[in-house]
Parts: sequence; structure tokens; C-alpha cells
Amino acid sequence: MDPQLTSIIVPTEEITQIEECLSRLVEDTGSDYALLLDKSGQVISAKGDGDRQDITALGALIAGVFASSREVAKLLRERDFRASFQQGVRENIFIALIEEQWILCIIFNKGTHIGLVKVLTKKATDELASVLERVRQQHKARDEVLGSSFRTSMEDTIDLLFRD
Amino acid sequence: MALINVARREIHCKIVYYGPGMCGKTSNLQWIHGQVPAQAKGDLLSIATETERTLFFDFLPIDLGKVRGFQTRFHLYTVPGQVLYERTRVAVLNGADGVVFVADSQLEKLQENLNSLKELAQNLKNQNKKITSFPIVLQYNKRDIPPQYEEVTLTDGTRKRRQTSGALAVDVLDKYLNGANWSAFRGGCAARQGVFETLRAISKAVISQL
Repeated sequence: MDPQLTSIIVPTEEITQIEECLSRLVEDTGSDYALLLDKSGQVISAKGDGDRQDITALGALIAGVFASSREVAKLLRERDFRASFQQGVRENIFIALIEEQWILCIIFNKGTHIGLVKVLTKKATDELASVLERVRQQHKARDEVLGSSFRTSMEDTIDLLFRD
Repeated sequence: MALINVARREIHCKIVYYGPGMCGKTSNLQWIHGQVPAQAKGDLLSIATETERTLFFDFLPIDLGKVRGFQTRFHLYTVPGQVLYERTRVAVLNGADGVVFVADSQLEKLQENLNSLKELAQNLKNQNKKITSFPIVLQYNKRDIPPQYEEVTLTDGTRKRRQTSGALAVDVLDKYLNGANWSAFRGGCAARQGVFETLRAISKAVISQL
């Protein structure tokens, strides 16, 4: 199979480590929320105050903004913008890229200093980069994770939900 | 690239609707949003201009529920079709697992379709994806615009009927746009013909590549 088409499978142990890393980042910076996204906009993990209902849309938009800024970088003949900062009246967002594949996003208010966020985000991105490396190294077969009859069941569900 | 979260038992896939301006990409998502049961869909998010042309993307999350213990979600996106937003399309296409190419069947839109398809092929190549194995389905939209003809006299005096506007025949569109022999579906305004047929085909193609 074309290696570009194989899925990224994030195992339980790696998810646990990601969640611990995000929780620590939120706690140490005093931020409101930390999100780890795939570059396609899918939320891998989210930690912070309360249960946000808009997390899926937030993931899609932040990944869109980042992908868009990557195109701006190309036009400026810059290799990549590794991080971006958006400043609001109440809330701020700091976004950092991890190995061209994942995006770490921290949402924080004026009680948190941007300098602290930058320093601790750098530490977190290093840790998450090593998690990503392990995720990339493991080669679990799809059937091992999903079961051999997954595709047939999925096709039945698709026919049932998407019918005229 | 689809994401399988083993701990949370979730699967996420990204499907992008691509095609020239005004071909009906946003209409596809609006129709899906209107028809899918409330518990299976999120809000339709549109970043559009004041004249309701897509500026960045439309986004519709669809939740297929639990399949063999995995919560499966499809994230549907559209790109902005207008020529000047080329770089924005690259951004939206990033990480896609499958593409629906929506073509406008009208004669006068053939060149725009060709340009858009060529651009899609180049963008996929730039993302190291092989267009031959990447999941793509075609939708020939606006099938319900009737073709108009005119009588012309050729130099040898014979008279011939020539199409001047309206939807081109499917075999003509196939000839120009479907050299790769992708699955192709007919779309149109009448009860949003072909929308779910297209969505079923691309969803299955994406799942087969997980």
C-alpha cells in the first residue's frame, strides 16, 4: 500500500503520555486549554478547564490557520513558521508545530505571561516530538487494531446513514 | 492521513470537496447537513465572503457512531473554488484522506474544470500523494441545465447542429476529465441528485485505504 495512505495509529500508552504532557502544560502555565491536533485538523487530545463543545470546529480552524500560514511562509521563501501567536482582549492563542505533523495549541488569558507559555511549550513540543517519533515507528497492521470485519461493518453503516 | 486513536477508540478521516468556482461544493455540504440526522452531525461552519462565496473553507463533521467499537468521524471540507485562492486550497487539502472532485457539467465551464483538476493533481503530488492510488471520486454537477444548440453551415454547405451552452454529455466529460477511470456520479438540483451517492462512494474508498 502507498505509505502516504496508511493511517496514523496512536496507541494507548502514547495517548496517556500526550495527556500527561498537556495537563502539565496547562497546570504549569496556568493556561485555560491545551490541544494537540493532527495537521489535518483532527483533535488527538485536549486538556483544560471544563468540557468545550466546540473542540472539533476549533481543531479544524486552528489547523486551517496554520496550514494557511505555511503557504504564506512559502511565498516569503521562509521554510516554515514554527509558531504563531494570536492576541485577543481576553484570550490569547499560541500555536506551535511539531515535526510537520502535529500542532500544539495553548489557549490562555491575560493572567499568563506569553514568555512562560513560549518556554514551556518548547519543552512540551520536544517531548511530544519523541512521542510522535515512536508513533511513526510502530507498524501495527490495520486488522490488528480494527479487526478484520471492520470494513464490511463500516460500509453497512455508510449505506444506512448516507441514503437518499 | 486518517487518525486512529486507540485509547479513545476513535477514527477520524478527512474528505475534501474540490472543484472550480460555483460548481456546487458548498451546496453538497449544505444538503448533507440538511439530511443527516441531528445526532450524527455537528454545525456546518462556513468561512465565506459577504456575498456567500467560500473564502477559506466549509466544514461539516459527521459522526457515524460506533462501528466495531470505534467511534468513526468523517470531517467534510470544501475548498474555495475561485482561481485567486489557489494557496488556500493547498492549505485545506493538507492531510486529506480522500477528494470529491465536483465538476460543472456546463459546456462553458469545461476549461475551468480542466484547470482545477490539473491543479488538484499537482497539489496532491506536492503532498507526496499518488493520484493513481489516492481515493478520488467525480461528481458531474448541474446535469439538469438543458443543452442549447444552434444550426451552423459548414464550408461544404452541409448543415450541422452544434451545442452552444448547457450540460455536456457524460461521455464527453468522461473523455476530458476521467482519464483515470474514477467512479463518477451525476449531480443536479432536482432533490440534490447524486449527493449521497457521491458521499457513499468516497467514504467507502477512504475506509478501504485505512
